Amino acid sequence: MDGLRFDKLRVLVVDDNQHMRKLVIAVLQAVGVRDLFEAADGETAWKTLRDTNPDIIVLDWQMDGMTGLEFARLIRNSPRSPNVYVPIIMLTGHTHVDQVRQARDAGVNEFLAKPVSVKAILSRLVNVVEHPRPFIRTKTYFGPCRRRRAVTAYAGPERRKETTLVD
Amino acid sequence: MAIGEKPQIFMPPISLKAKAGSASGTLAVNPEALKKAEMAMDGLRREFADWLAEDIAALAKAFVAFTQDLSPENAGALFRAAHDLKGQATTFEYPLIARVAASLAKLMDGMQSWEAAPLPLVAAHIDAIHVIHRDQIKDASNLIALTLAEELEGRVVKTIAQASFKQCAADTRAS
Repeated sequence: MDGLRFDKLRVLVVDDNQHMRKLVIAVLQAVGVRDLFEAADGETAWKTLRDTNPDIIVLDWQMDGMTGLEFARLIRNSPRSPNVYVPIIMLTGHTHVDQVRQARDAGVNEFLAKPVSVKAILSRLVNVVEHPRPFIRTKTYFGPCRRRRAVTAYAGPERRKETTLVD
Repeated sequence: MAIGEKPQIFMPPISLKAKAGSASGTLAVNPEALKKAEMAMDGLRREFADWLAEDIAALAKAFVAFTQDLSPENAGALFRAAHDLKGQATTFEYPLIARVAASLAKLMDGMQSWEAAPLPLVAAHIDAIHVIHRDQIKDASNLIALTLAEELEGRVVKTIAQASFKQCAADTRAS
């Protein structure tokens, strides 16, 4: 059956809770992801990111030391970032709308609320692969488009003035 | 790179779709992949009891450290331990532990200062989590555990409101 080629993906799982790491990794292994990397904190994750160049990052928000939000901002904005475009799926127990907004503003692509389900994990993966969002660069933000739908489908008033489309 | 005045919009240069996308580009999860992943999750279930016990022990340890030293580091560790349980206990088949842990995380997050966190109320949350675990209450509608969770949630709301009121009053006096 037609489906995502999970075996082609390289995924980095960053979570300071080893049980959640194990769970997410077990699900990814089961569907065929072979190149899996893990880190328990932001500093280790940054080194792993530079060493392994993953295609996707599954990132916990609440970690000791560097938080997931800080790590996401570092990936998107640091001149030393190996891949500022890497899709970030944020794994979190925070579900309040303000917190979702904070994650979006940090450059997160997808939001995966705990408790996680297998279906939710896989659907976020499918989404970042099959439905990549355009990137936006403004004076104050760099990251995936924060509008949920495709830009061309937006029918409301234009708040982002004089957008330049870049090939 | 200099950033101009006008926002720029562009597609990322690296295409995962080309690398690993399906031929049809469907957004649906492949049922076969889903089945395999569900089986992997089922295979882990026998470990969930140990994982939960370890997470509860980590919470208890963080609480002891916090009672001995009300430092921001210890408070942060206690909040994170509660937050972990909030997010994971349902997966580990104990939804009411998740609910009580969520209440504790809310308390720790909602206080104006760590020192103001009422230790007896924190301790009551941890005791409740121990009891639900000890009695293996996995049913989210268990009346006793549910009543306990609701009582704790109510006290947390009241405690945060009182702390917020005191802070406002202090700010008003200072200004």
